[in-house]
Amino acid sequence: MQVKTALEVKDLQVFYGDKHVVFDVNLKFPQHQITALIGASGSGKSTVLRSLNRMNDDLARVTGAINFHDVNINDPKVNVYRVRQRIGMVFQQPTPFPMSIYENVIYGLRLAGEKDRHVLDQRVEESLRQAALWDEVKDQLKSSALALSGGQQQRLCIARTLAVQPEIILMDEPTSALDPVSTSQIEDTLVQLKEQFTIIMVTHNMQQASRSADWTAFMHQGHLIEFDKTATIFMNPHEQQTADYLSGKFG
Amino acid sequence: MTPERIDKIATGIILGLAVMVGLVILGLLGYILAQGIPHISWHFLTSGAESFAAGGGIRDQLFNSLYLVVLTMIVSVPLALCAAIYLSEYAPDNRRTRLLRLAIEVLSSLPSVVVGLFGYLVFVLKFGLDFSLLAGALALTILNLPILTRSCEDALRQVPYLQRQAGLGLGMAKWRVTTKIVLPAALPGIITGAILSAGRIFGEAAALIYTAGQSAPVISYTDWNPFSPTSFLNPMRPAETLAVHIWKVNSEGLVPDARAVSNGSAAVLIITILLFNLAARFVGYRIKRRLTK
Amino acid sequence: MDDLQKQLTQPSPESHQEWTGKIISSLAIILIGSLVLAILVFLTIKGIALFTDNGISIWRFLSQTDWQPSHQHYGALPMIVTSFSVTILAGVVALPLTLVVAVAITEILPKKMTGLFQPLIELLVGVPSVVYGYLGLTIIVPELQRLFGGTGFGILAATGVLFLMILPTMTSMTVDSLNAVPKQYRQASAGLGATRWQTISRVIVPSARDGILTAAVFGMARAFGEALAVQMVIGNTAVMPKGLIESSATLTSVLTTGIGNSVMGTADNNALWSLALILLIMSLIFNLLIHLVSKKGVA
Repeated sequence: MQVKTALEVKDLQVFYGDKHVVFDVNLKFPQHQITALIGASGSGKSTVLRSLNRMNDDLARVTGAINFHDVNINDPKVNVYRVRQRIGMVFQQPTPFPMSIYENVIYGLRLAGEKDRHVLDQRVEESLRQAALWDEVKDQLKSSALALSGGQQQRLCIARTLAVQPEIILMDEPTSALDPVSTSQIEDTLVQLKEQFTIIMVTHNMQQASRSADWTAFMHQGHLIEFDKTATIFMNPHEQQTADYLSGKFG
Repeated sequence: MTPERIDKIATGIILGLAVMVGLVILGLLGYILAQGIPHISWHFLTSGAESFAAGGGIRDQLFNSLYLVVLTMIVSVPLALCAAIYLSEYAPDNRRTRLLRLAIEVLSSLPSVVVGLFGYLVFVLKFGLDFSLLAGALALTILNLPILTRSCEDALRQVPYLQRQAGLGLGMAKWRVTTKIVLPAALPGIITGAILSAGRIFGEAAALIYTAGQSAPVISYTDWNPFSPTSFLNPMRPAETLAVHIWKVNSEGLVPDARAVSNGSAAVLIITILLFNLAARFVGYRIKRRLTK
Repeated sequence: MDDLQKQLTQPSPESHQEWTGKIISSLAIILIGSLVLAILVFLTIKGIALFTDNGISIWRFLSQTDWQPSHQHYGALPMIVTSFSVTILAGVVALPLTLVVAVAITEILPKKMTGLFQPLIELLVGVPSVVYGYLGLTIIVPELQRLFGGTGFGILAATGVLFLMILPTMTSMTVDSLNAVPKQYRQASAGLGATRWQTISRVIVPSARDGILTAAVFGMARAFGEALAVQMVIGNTAVMPKGLIESSATLTSVLTTGIGNSVMGTADNNALWSLALILLIMSLIFNLLIHLVSKKGVA
């Protein structure tokens, strides 16, 4: 099956000060698929993810090209705010802003200058439905987002990202702070979302990668070791290091 | 002697000395308050000072002190806040930033009389502001800036990075993240710091005697035109503050009831500072409660 | 280029926001930086005028004991000696007592009472120095006069006033540094059978040493620069101090009384600015000291 590429990474290198932490990563993220980045902590998987929408700008030096619609978005001249609107990010810790659920969801839209009440209402419902949160909160849109449970907060953060209508959603261990029930709800949500979005997520949870991801990239000590269909990586890895990691020999 | 016995003796000595020191300080302050509070009357607070006769009040000095605090805050709060935003949100970790921090530290350690002399030299003489509220406010701003910048920066830094990251991840500019997300969350700390620093400058005297001056000319509280020379709002008029008044009454001693006037003024000064402290606590507490609700 | 590519490569309202923010906040910090520079430059220029324009030698200025501007005698030594005397005396008295009060608050008194001390110390820190000066004038000076005779004005009275003034600040800083000593140290020491006093004297105070010293230097820096409170009780006679209860004068007290009584640009006036320069330099030195003392704690 030939799949279109949503985002292409070429020769990505990342440095924290003098410390070289990511070496020569080349990756093509397939469109409308879920790609999981796995590896031990410190393998550089989160660093790669955060480089994809320039969240590392203040923290690290990133070289190489990240091509998105034929634009190298790693070029400092590129409008980083638009990049982040097109390539959204959901973080490890749910971080709703201290305001109502409704205001949280439309926050990004408001920034983009959208004022039409009708459009905003519609987008709130749409995003919350996509994030599988609508039914739980539709009667309390005006109440504070901080009153929601951890899992609900994280789905609210997903909805907040979706509301800006990005093409790609980056997720940095989106369920690591959640209980198993919330985790499986979010995993279900992800599978729904890939109809419309390309999803790239970092996870330390191997089952999560095998359950939800179509593609899996394995990283070790800053190097990309192997990238293939999830089934291939888990059942029949080409590299010994991948096999060792999956069988729990290190990590 | 056993260690237990030494422990008992040492504890006794420490407690004894500590209680003594505490009692001395509180006793002295209590003495001032006890002497001063009976002298505080409506008449004392609302009538003008006398130059040579007894029975003068502190109306103008009290107003001048408060007005100076307001003027100083108008200048210093925006400036300190923006500088704090630079330091906490934008400043790269390099030599230039360290130098700027050092500069702010130097500023905060300058004796207030030195700041007053600089104000005299630059604001009063070079800028031609003469002895005026404005010159005084600028001198107080110099004293206030480092403290306020630091407390604002502390308040900003208390806001978790996760909140900023969430905003940045939505494609918000850092400035927008700062003003819309970080600043509201840091507000209780910023306001508390501002009120405490206001209390400090309320009692400042050394920086003012050669900037705001030591005289309290006749002013009219019904003249609301800030450009009129006799208006109470005119920032270009010289203005003796309460703290300067205490110093002046005692070092020149031309009024026969200097003791009574000073006692009353000192009591008013201490009570006002107490009010500032209470207000800072109260505001910080209220806003924190509102935000976490 | 299609629309999306254009969007990605061209500025948006967010970019303008970012520029606004950078410019506004940089301007503020640049202003503060230039202010500090201006203070240092202006005060230095005024401060050295006595030596460059009026031909007085720095050495004579610093070493002569005769301060009579009206007779062109510019010996600043009496004020330097007095300033250092009051500062060091106040520091020497305040350091042990601060430590005692802070130890009592953090280690001995029940935690419930600590909540009471905190606001009290904060209030005392906020009491204006003029009030302390006035206390000195109305209580300490007459008391010294009663005990030792003479006028009561002098170094001892100033020491008392400065002690009262710096004690709250120093106590508050010392309390903070004692509280910063990890709880485990106390438990470990107690677990080895140490008494509270042994724990305090051998573990807690030594590990908070840098913070305590910083507090002391900080307090002394404030004492050195205090003007009005000292001026009210020192007596203001610019001669070498002959005793602790003889009228003398500090750098700050001479400045306070002198600036208003001399004409800008004259040698008399320049000599005063030279005193101000000494104050400025000393405040820089105190700053350096604080850095040296507290840096040791980091390493």
